[in-house]
Amino acid sequence: MMGRMNSRTVFTLGLVAIALALVSFWVGQQAYSWLPPQASAESILVDQLFSFMVTIGAFIFLGVLGALTYSALFQRAGKYDASDGPHIEGNVTLEVVWTAIPLVLVIWIAGYSYRTYDQMSILGSMEHIHMGMATAEAVSLIEDTDAISEPEPVEQIDVYARQWVWEFRYPQLNITSTELHVPNNQRIRLALHSEDVLHGFFVPAFRVKQDVIPGQVIDFEFTPIREGRYRLRDSQYSGTYFAAMQADVVVESPEDYQQWLSTTATQPPVTAYNQAFDEHQRAHNFISTGWKSVEPAPPPVVNYPSSQASNP
Amino acid sequence: MTNLSVDATAQVGQPLPGAPNNWKRFFSFSTDHKVIGIQYLVTSFFFFLVGGVFAMIIRGELITPEADLLDRTVYNAMFTMHGTVMLFLWTFPSLVGLSNYLVPLMIGAKDMAFPRLNAAAFWMVPVFGVILMASFLVPGGPSQSGWWAYPPVSLQNPTGNFINGQVLWILAVAISGVSSIMGAINFVTTIVRMRAPGMTWFRMPAFVWTVFAAQIIQLFGLPALTAGAVMLLLDITVGTSFFDPAKGGDPVLFQHLFWFYSHPAVYVIILPIFGIFSEIFPVYARKPLFGYKVVAVSSLIITGLSGIVWVHHMFASGTPGWMRMVFMATTMLISVPTGIKVFAWVATIWGGKLRLTTPMLFALGGLTMFVFAGVTGIMLASAPFDIHVNNTYFVVGHFHYVIYGAVVMGMYAAFYHWFPKMTGRMYSEGLGKLHFALTLLGTNLNFLPMHPLGLQGMPRRVASYDPEFAFWNVVASIGAFLLGMSTLPFILNMIGSWVQGEKADKNPWRAIGLEWLVSSPPTPENFEELPIVVAEPYGYGKSEPLVANADKLEVAHESR
Amino acid sequence: MNPAEVNASSDAQISSEVMSDLPMAADHHHDEAGNSMFGFIVFLLSESVIFLSFFAGYIVYKTTALDWLPSGVTGLEIREPAINTVVLVSSSFVIYFAERFLHAKNLWGFRFFWLLTMAMGSYFLYGQAVEWRSLEFGFTDGVFGGSFYLLTGFHGLHVLTGILLQTLMLGRSFIPGNYDGGEFGVAATSLFWHFVDVIWIILFVLIYVWQ
Repeated sequence: MMGRMNSRTVFTLGLVAIALALVSFWVGQQAYSWLPPQASAESILVDQLFSFMVTIGAFIFLGVLGALTYSALFQRAGKYDASDGPHIEGNVTLEVVWTAIPLVLVIWIAGYSYRTYDQMSILGSMEHIHMGMATAEAVSLIEDTDAISEPEPVEQIDVYARQWVWEFRYPQLNITSTELHVPNNQRIRLALHSEDVLHGFFVPAFRVKQDVIPGQVIDFEFTPIREGRYRLRDSQYSGTYFAAMQADVVVESPEDYQQWLSTTATQPPVTAYNQAFDEHQRAHNFISTGWKSVEPAPPPVVNYPSSQASNP
Repeated sequence: MTNLSVDATAQVGQPLPGAPNNWKRFFSFSTDHKVIGIQYLVTSFFFFLVGGVFAMIIRGELITPEADLLDRTVYNAMFTMHGTVMLFLWTFPSLVGLSNYLVPLMIGAKDMAFPRLNAAAFWMVPVFGVILMASFLVPGGPSQSGWWAYPPVSLQNPTGNFINGQVLWILAVAISGVSSIMGAINFVTTIVRMRAPGMTWFRMPAFVWTVFAAQIIQLFGLPALTAGAVMLLLDITVGTSFFDPAKGGDPVLFQHLFWFYSHPAVYVIILPIFGIFSEIFPVYARKPLFGYKVVAVSSLIITGLSGIVWVHHMFASGTPGWMRMVFMATTMLISVPTGIKVFAWVATIWGGKLRLTTPMLFALGGLTMFVFAGVTGIMLASAPFDIHVNNTYFVVGHFHYVIYGAVVMGMYAAFYHWFPKMTGRMYSEGLGKLHFALTLLGTNLNFLPMHPLGLQGMPRRVASYDPEFAFWNVVASIGAFLLGMSTLPFILNMIGSWVQGEKADKNPWRAIGLEWLVSSPPTPENFEELPIVVAEPYGYGKSEPLVANADKLEVAHESR
Repeated sequence: MNPAEVNASSDAQISSEVMSDLPMAADHHHDEAGNSMFGFIVFLLSESVIFLSFFAGYIVYKTTALDWLPSGVTGLEIREPAINTVVLVSSSFVIYFAERFLHAKNLWGFRFFWLLTMAMGSYFLYGQAVEWRSLEFGFTDGVFGGSFYLLTGFHGLHVLTGILLQTLMLGRSFIPGNYDGGEFGVAATSLFWHFVDVIWIILFVLIYVWQ
């Protein structure tokens, strides 16, 4: 079976491979529709990579599935056929091929992924800065070197995560908000802070994610490219009300953004709605045990309490 | 061990020649590897059902977007316990049980190298199972920090009690670790030193190779988890600050120690399943395992690589860019030896004379699910894409395709394939095929929807979610309940067939292997005379004897 | 199919009576002492990974922590621990002589050097206890305090285990015919002792020398 291949076998195999490739290419094109809207420059890069991997993955999966299905349908032993199949222990050529091809494929995927990651460069300067005396010094040092090597990101926003609140601070105007507003088409740099446990900063529409680690300030960058309102979710399990720790991200035109900043700067701080805190005050569910939870942080007092308050 | 030996001599666990082969031995401190194997399998299957109930409760909560069925604390305890039970009380012990039963038979040994150590390792399983379940009874309930127990969440102790769910969780995991290390020492010693005459390394069945490779991982990996767990326990109980950032500790270090073991642990689980595939396909395709030596050695390559990939679980954590890139490359590499195995199985099946019995169906289903999981696995290895789906349902879908699709299906294949050997009875094919159909449908219904959910951005471990995710969650929940149902025909089949199935002879599948040369079930010491192995393990298609002394392996009169 | 035979084919200490009683004992697959020694070496290799993990953690902490030493602590006194180190490391040679004597069937020579090893081990533990008492930081004083006590304490536990094993072996040496079935217990205890010593040398370099 595996031995000499006549021209007809080669032709059939080639035909099957072409058909598989076409189907896989089609599946790979569908991959874009499985993802959220592309709201950041990074999302375009990630989606292309994903589509590429779906194409290759579909080819492999459908190839294996096809071979197995063919065998299961057409290579069954007859009811009273107690004989064995051919005694084939292996085939060196074949084994070399199916070692080499996957190797080349994964090197290709890894190279492509590396390039994509490099282009995204979401981690500003990946320095882990610890709290304490050294912080101010380290920050200024890093900003100096960055200023030389690359254009300064336009916006710098502090993100504070605590159980189970997202709070955003705009240091230039000293504004606080429970909604993250960012201007469109500009590089955004966030400084991620956690005040208690691990959290994860995750905006699916931007395809970016970064754990927020207590005791460290992590610089995180991305470029929004599409106006709209998106969801920010906590992606690193953070305890009882983890699922409720969501916020909105609003991408708006630079003019609207400036407008929002100046309006908000005049607003007196008010107590925002916080789902975890609110739920903690209320009664229990259908199956209820009264198991104690960590107390949620008090609702934040901010200049801009989010307009879209409630989450499920 | 000296005390134990006194016990073991007192209640020998083995039926004396002529005595009835009675069921009480399964509740004794038997040192027979076959009894211990079945003890492991039955105990772990019980916990599989427990973990399954937790899963269905989780899916019950997720059938609606709101957190309306359970308190969030209860939900969090459920997914923590689901993961812990499924790993430490189902997959690990069930595979150890299967390996326990098969390895000595397959290499032609009368028992494991250390039978009493073996029994002691088994009896730890119910002990830590009870400890883990007992955590439901302490104030504050069981651990709610996920099976990773990442600090600082795992250090937060809202009840303030010294004995709390998290402490009991660590204790249970620690005992599980001791049990696993004892098992690993036993397996490695047995495989290296107890092989029958003529049973060279390249005459060992592929399953033995995979068990060997998997147990080596336990030996180098588990101690790292133990170290992390000790530090975590000290942080919780006596107030050290290893992982507590508020006091200068480093929570990311715990992640490294945890994943240094817990990623390779995935290979501890999947490698024996690869072994099962390698045993089953040749039998039901009537062809030798294609490229046996390469398949065997690639298990060890996987073992080696598994030790240098752990950071891919931390691509979105506090890891610098260079580390992400290095571990992306190593992770990609591990797919090469895995791919070799997959293609070898396809080539084994291709052109064979297939017999689609229940074990073959489960193995084929398991292989297909595994290839799907492998494809998503390569995607997850790609750091920039992983950053999007890390900690989302895409990952949950991926590893459930591995764990349920490949591992559970592979285990079922093994259960059916060796059922006649273990019990001396045949199972019911009809019920088996029904079981397969329900499992295949349930698995895909349950876990396929998790991929779109993850791509759309639904984080894992959430008790509530945005309404946009509702549709796929309902589908997944239906799949979960179907999977729950699918165990019923299996249980019925196993119990019913064991009690009154048709009697099985030595080798109902006409399979090649030492275990098929002795009676079903084998007598307490397996072989009257040690087999003298003269051939490679998969001689399908050429009639040559496997051993030189086939007629002397058992005493002339049947023992049962 | 003698049930006793099943039990005979088991781990650790196998009594000589069983060995000589059974015909199977000659078979190389029932080389119990060999199996046990192999298994024990595998165990030690695995155990060393726990220490490696702790060492790795220590190195990470030491190289990244901002406030490494607790306030008021300037460093560790190295003189006493160095003497302790010399005693413990030399005991590895002493236990080797004990083994030599046992090979030569000189039981009293064995017992003497064995006891000397135990005394040196005990001295080490005593020195450790004295050091712990004199320190001005506890294990809750930052990651330094925690790692210091974790490493030295975990190692100390191993030394204690070694001494207990040695006590057991010493006691067993008085059982007539104890070594007819081989010297696995003594050999394993001795190996364990070397292991504990090697770990200490690394630990000493990490904690005391590299300050």
